[in-house]
Amino acid sequence: MSDTAAAHEAPTSTGIDHKKLIMWLFLASDCMFFGTLISTHLLYRKLFPAGFTDAEGHQRFIQDLFSIELTSFSTFILLMSSFLMALAVSAMHKGQIKSFRRNVLGVIIFGLIFLGCQVFEFTHFYHKGLTIQNSVLGSTFYVLTGTHGTHVAIGVLWLILLYFYSFTGKLGGHMGALDVEVAGLYWHFVDIVWIIIFTAVYLVEYLGPYGIWGSGLPAVVK
Amino acid sequence: MSHDTHHAPVACKTELAPERSDLGLYRPDRATGWTDWLTTVDHKKIGILYGAFAMLYFLIGGVEALAIRTQLARPDNDFVTARMYNQLFTMHGTTMIFLGVMPFSYAPLSGTFGANGQALRFTGVGTDFWIIGIQILGIASLAASFNFICTIINMRAKGMTMMRLPVFTWMTLVTAVLIILAFPAITVALIELMFDRSFGANFFNPSAGGQPVLWQHLFWIFGHPEVYILVLPAMGIVSEVLPTFTGKSLFGYPIIVFSGAVIGFLGFAVWSHHMFTTGLGPVPTAAFSLLTMAIAVPTGVKIFNWLGTIWGGRIRFTPPMVLALGFIWMFMCGGFSGVMHSSAPADSQQQDSYFVIAHFHYVLVGGVLLGLLSGLYFWFPKIFGRMPNAPLGYLGSALVILGFNLAFGPMHYLGLAGQPRRTHTYHAGNGWETWNLVATYGAYMLGIGIVIIFGNLAWTAFRGKKCGNDPWDGRTLEWSLPSPVPEYNFAQAPVIATRDAYFEHKHGSKKIGAESDGGEAGVHMPSQSWMPLLASTGFLFAGFGMPMMAMGVPHAGWVVIAGLAVLFLGIWLWALEGPGGYMLKTPAPSGAPAPAETAAH
Ligand code: HEM
Ligand SMILES: [Cu+2]
Repeated sequence: MSDTAAAHEAPTSTGIDHKKLIMWLFLASDCMFFGTLISTHLLYRKLFPAGFTDAEGHQRFIQDLFSIELTSFSTFILLMSSFLMALAVSAMHKGQIKSFRRNVLGVIIFGLIFLGCQVFEFTHFYHKGLTIQNSVLGSTFYVLTGTHGTHVAIGVLWLILLYFYSFTGKLGGHMGALDVEVAGLYWHFVDIVWIIIFTAVYLVEYLGPYGIWGSGLPAVVK
Repeated sequence: MSHDTHHAPVACKTELAPERSDLGLYRPDRATGWTDWLTTVDHKKIGILYGAFAMLYFLIGGVEALAIRTQLARPDNDFVTARMYNQLFTMHGTTMIFLGVMPFSYAPLSGTFGANGQALRFTGVGTDFWIIGIQILGIASLAASFNFICTIINMRAKGMTMMRLPVFTWMTLVTAVLIILAFPAITVALIELMFDRSFGANFFNPSAGGQPVLWQHLFWIFGHPEVYILVLPAMGIVSEVLPTFTGKSLFGYPIIVFSGAVIGFLGFAVWSHHMFTTGLGPVPTAAFSLLTMAIAVPTGVKIFNWLGTIWGGRIRFTPPMVLALGFIWMFMCGGFSGVMHSSAPADSQQQDSYFVIAHFHYVLVGGVLLGLLSGLYFWFPKIFGRMPNAPLGYLGSALVILGFNLAFGPMHYLGLAGQPRRTHTYHAGNGWETWNLVATYGAYMLGIGIVIIFGNLAWTAFRGKKCGNDPWDGRTLEWSLPSPVPEYNFAQAPVIATRDAYFEHKHGSKKIGAESDGGEAGVHMPSQSWMPLLASTGFLFAGFGMPMMAMGVPHAGWVVIAGLAVLFLGIWLWALEGPGGYMLKTPAPSGAPAPAETAAH
């Protein structure tokens, strides 16, 4: 397909491409999806600020578990991947396919690093005694962050497909740029959601001596 | 056109030689008969398939309902066991909402009532299948909704501004927005439930601190918007039927549209009225009470607009009109009992009693079902080019409306007299006997009415009298097309200058124009494909495999993996097939769409 294909594409009533519109609609829906999961987690944090009891029966705090340095690092990596994604989209619009490939490869690698950090984090937490079965905290934490991880994994797969597709020569012109842009929308969204999760699930636990939920801790535990 | 086809336009696709896709396989493009129906991409055919399945499930749900009513006809009856009764009413609710009403109003959706916090009380694997079933329907509805919104706001004909859209289209748009925003809540609730059941998580497990009431909140955050998802399309249908048979344009079009949107918006802010008795605390209870009362306002506004439409019109009492008038009346009664339980103290008396059953059947049967039947009858001649038998139409409608009131009217009384819902029998001496018997007779009458209406339509589809393209003196564009509507819809894209464009075209000065499409002779038709069928089969297997996995059925995991693999394979291969398509010759080469057979009046 060449650029002339664009001219043949029937104009839409709003001027927004169908694919892009559908992606926006999907993201609206996904907002509600993550919103529900994050609310579930926060509600339970408020109810049970004391964290969880590990296999030996010790009361453990969520701060004992977190390695905020590692998570900050993976958050930074994900942010930078969004930056590369923006570069990839702009390269595609200018028809610079080589630059597109370079940038998208960067996004893929950064995405994989993020996923690697998450796998490491999950195993680490598991060994410290937080499981999906032994507490409500475990259930909400793993399901929320796991769902986000799945979103990242799907994004990585999608970008890998686009990367290889670009070698067939069929990814070009206006439609090709649009395909990449839509993938980019998804990627940025997943990134923004992570920023929210990082704030609501990780950072707030460090406000005050017992985290933002600490005021609800029973006196004995304090 | 985004790509070229190798053929000159043809009058019928079977004139073309079979063609291979980019995969090297033959496309089912030229097929007729079963293959054509299984691989079709024509939304009209898909609609007919949905409709036929929905009618079938309506009948199944109806038989379940009659079994329930037979059991309740007399005190201390043992027509079915308590266990069987539980299964009957659960299946009845699920069948009717999921598989009856939803596909009808446009796409499969999921169940509202009967599942009120109930899934937690279920035991056994039935629940796992139920969870997966709703998830599958949910995903299907989401996909359909993205499609609808995109089509409505992005693919309008020239001149079809948003404020010229038919109200039915508007309500479909609002419904689709509600679906995409409400479904995630139930999806998350079901995922959490699945994790609890299959992986020992604690979202709703009280012994580990989980809160079952969270399930109820999530369920109703979806559940209340869902009731509007069900009723808005019916409201849209009635807003088309009434103007047609009164010869007047819809009274207060912008207000109808706006109140529809407001209903959609407020629908997200009232869910806790289903949970007044869980002890929310005084402030939330008061707030949700007020908001629930507030949502009755835009609903009332619509009723007044419909009345204003009828007012002073030249009313033609055709069967669809009778059903539409029934809708207004019955739905209004349902709204009244709704406002009654928006008051928390009153509701604490009514909850879990037959009063609630009466309320939601007045809105769901008296409202949604009558609206859908009206629409079905109204558009039937357009879909099949044949006119259903009118005397049978009147008889069926009358039996449905009368039987419905006999069946559900007494339930208001029974509920206030204390009869609880979801209970398989009752003892004599509570003063409930007479009205239960009346309700059962009413239910059978309703059933006979439905059978007559469906039978009439089914017969008409094959044997009915042929009718013209515009038998009702219709107002909207579809009536300008031949019946049945050709595969390509419009030969020339129309250009619209006003609301009720076709009516104005026939009787007024504003004519429908035609877009010149650069001299291309014909309409581009998309290719058919086996791949969507393949993908959905995979999806179904994956869906069945998951609860089987939780049950510990050996090798069930492989069924899931294989199912998912087939699903993705289907999508992937579909993408690889390449664009394809062919050109179909259209009759009128130029000028305005022929106002076919408007001589009827
Ligand atoms: C528009 C169509 C409507 C539908 C389809 C509908 C459907 C339902 C359903 C299925 C229930 C049963 C809940 C349960 O399982 O206990 C219900 C309950 C309720 N409805 Fe409606 N409703 C509609 C309109 C309204 C309106 C207009 C109002 C108020 C202005 C309203 C207020 C209520 C309230 C407060 C309850 C809770 C009753 C209780 O559980 O005790 N509904 N509705
Ligand atoms: Cu409600």
